[in-house]
Amino acid sequence: MEQEANSRLQLHNLQLAQANRTVLEHVDGRFRDGAITALVGANGTGKSTLIQGVMGMLKPVAGRVACSVPRERRAWLPQQLALDLTFPMSVEELVMTGSWPSHGALTGYCAHHYRRGREVMARLGISHLAHRPLGELSGGQRQRALIGRTLMQEAELLLLDEPFANVDSETVDVLMTVLRDMAASGATLIVVLHDMEQLSRLADEVVVLANGHAHWTSPQAILEGQAPIAGTARLTLGIPGVSTC
Amino acid sequence: MIDSLLWWVTSPLDYAFMRRALVACLALSLTAPILGVLLMLRGMSLMGEALSHAILPGVAVAFMLAGFSLPLMMLGGVAAGLVTVATASSVTLFSGLKEDAAMASLFLVAMAAGVMIISLSGSALDLGHVLFGSVLAVDGRTLLLVCLVSSLVLVGLAISFRALVMECLDPQFLTLQGRHAGWIHGLFMCLVVLSLVVGFQSLGTLMAAGLMLLPAATARYWSRRLEGMIAIAIGWAVTCSITGLLVSYHAGLPTGPTIVLLTGAGYALSVLVGPCNGMLSRLRTPHRVLSHEKR
Repeated sequence: MEQEANSRLQLHNLQLAQANRTVLEHVDGRFRDGAITALVGANGTGKSTLIQGVMGMLKPVAGRVACSVPRERRAWLPQQLALDLTFPMSVEELVMTGSWPSHGALTGYCAHHYRRGREVMARLGISHLAHRPLGELSGGQRQRALIGRTLMQEAELLLLDEPFANVDSETVDVLMTVLRDMAASGATLIVVLHDMEQLSRLADEVVVLANGHAHWTSPQAILEGQAPIAGTARLTLGIPGVSTC
Repeated sequence: MIDSLLWWVTSPLDYAFMRRALVACLALSLTAPILGVLLMLRGMSLMGEALSHAILPGVAVAFMLAGFSLPLMMLGGVAAGLVTVATASSVTLFSGLKEDAAMASLFLVAMAAGVMIISLSGSALDLGHVLFGSVLAVDGRTLLLVCLVSSLVLVGLAISFRALVMECLDPQFLTLQGRHAGWIHGLFMCLVVLSLVVGFQSLGTLMAAGLMLLPAATARYWSRRLEGMIAIAIGWAVTCSITGLLVSYHAGLPTGPTIVLLTGAGYALSVLVGPCNGMLSRLRTPHRVLSHEKR
């Protein structure tokens, strides 16, 4: 009970399926508040499926997701963005849309929102891009702007699907710092990762997905090769001691 | 010179039917381009065009029951448009057929049914009025209805604008916040139907989307900002409506096609000289050198 008290996101005997095929079953666990949990596993083990289930985009076949974070404080950065990059919108306007869920569809932005928007952009190093259209951003700049939107949203639950893919190392450093700060302020973060170095720098806990099941472990156990992890996932993560044959 | 220009502009307005036509065209020009810009940004311009034809059966049934009564034909058009949107969405939902394919199939059937009903119950002249518009035939009652529906569309847009923009920009974000993107899409399509029915008075079912889509496509070549696009699209639609009305009066040309041809001329010019991705601006702009700014 003591442990459950500091977890706003818990999975109870969760079973998830895609196209009538069970992808994950008997998933029991909790995600600690104020911690970054890395989600690892080989391709097809159900990382994106679990994220969809957690975000309520996929109805569980059995079991349940218990999440006490209000909807307007949940954010998700999927790998395949639905964001229309040709839409005539600037970086500042995109960042500002993060405040929309909390202040409603009819209320306009006030000076406080604009001030906060500028602070968020400065923190992410994109102040100089404030008026640039979305279509003219690099992958790294776009990722910073999207994280900016979640900061504006004051997200308490943030799920990121491979946030550092195709992103330059400087952006990775900036984003890691921001994500760490979010966790330090009490947010729950779940990040799909494939890179061992990134996992060791960022994660407080690790959930390994393999053979339709989820195993909670620590980054140390993964680094030392003690965690039950499928061969392909080990190779992707670059875990030592696994043959490539 | 100024006197003759003044006469050219004001003399048609001596007639009440021209004043009514002008107000009807302005009501359309102030609302339809906003929807046109949103349709274009969603890549749904052709859906708007198809929907404008889909209102025909409702117009035809009203015509068959009550003769050439514009208010009843408008109501019939709204009903047919909404039924088509609902049917296309249901077909997409239950069969997986893409919405544009469902709409394309439905509008062809609707169009054929509409033409058949009018042909069986009226003369070729009536069919011409319905297909090509009859803005000069707008009476006081119809004008009131046109203004009322246009105001309704404008209020609907004002209330739902932020949600519509968000649904267009990032539907996933909207869904995640518990706002059903499907409902907002449905509301948007209803507003499009209402606006098309207003357009049907002036431009007929064949060109009802003319003042909706062409000014929007034109505006894209002159602004990179949403507000800019909307302002330019409205400005161009108003200009073409007034000029088209006056040109058609003085030259004895059909009003609807004159207005649409003018908006089309603006579009063609914009494709050539528009500062945002116009052909000339593309030729003039050298390849961008990679900047050294922070990524």
